[in-house]
Amino acid sequence: MHLPPWFWFAAIVLISWGIVGLLQKLSTNYISAESSLIWLVVGFFLLQPFLYPGPAVFSYSARSLTWALLSGVLNALGAWALFAAMKSGGKASIVSPFTALYPLVVVLVAPIILHESISLLQGVGVLCALTAVVLLST
Amino acid sequence: MPTPATLKAKWFWYSILCVLCWGGWALLSKMGSREIPADTMQFIFTFGTLPVALALLVARHFKLEKSRKGIFYAVSNGVLSGIGGLAFFAAFRSGGNTSVITAATSLYPMITVALAVSILRERLTWVQVVGLGFAAAAIVIFSL
Repeated sequence: MHLPPWFWFAAIVLISWGIVGLLQKLSTNYISAESSLIWLVVGFFLLQPFLYPGPAVFSYSARSLTWALLSGVLNALGAWALFAAMKSGGKASIVSPFTALYPLVVVLVAPIILHESISLLQGVGVLCALTAVVLLST
Repeated sequence: MPTPATLKAKWFWYSILCVLCWGGWALLSKMGSREIPADTMQFIFTFGTLPVALALLVARHFKLEKSRKGIFYAVSNGVLSGIGGLAFFAAFRSGGNTSVITAATSLYPMITVALAVSILRERLTWVQVVGLGFAAAAIVIFSL
């Protein structure tokens, strides 16, 4: 069986973010969700010396650099919105599975802005994945 | 469909904002990864998270809880999130379909649930067992 290269990277994402989910439960047992996000960003910065690209960073187009920077802003803003939803009366059992539906945005928007389409089989896979994350987050 | 009461609730709109932000994050990750390698993407991404962390810090009047355990778990969280982020960008850069990669990587609660059962001794609910079944089906389909 030949697996595409992205499959292995996705496996690393699943394992590392899966452990993150557990650590998140543990950290919020001791500190607030907001503090947890602030210290999480500190953790991000601990990796920066290993990732420093040097002057090569200026060789990329301003547009791609903006996408990279904005992806960070949106990721953190999404996390803040999740905390805000929980704090303003949203039950975790509803908010967590609801917010896990973010791949739906990608499925709807990717064909328009990235000009990508998915096969019927891939569509079934996406549907199974979305059902899974909603059920697992309850 | 959401009820009129739900549509008036703040939490509902915060949740919508979260979904839109994370959807945008995944799309922009793909768009940036077309040109920029994964390590540089993660390097720049991190600077993007800074304004939100600083805004939270200001909102809390620079007062953070001093629990060493809590801080240790949260910082470890950041390191592991960053490693996962690197792989996330690398997956996009390897040329796979954006919708499929985003859906496949969003399955990480499957690992969290498995770890919570084995380490925290939490019990699986029936709903979660069905969820694991769907996750397994999705992975098999994506591997075809």
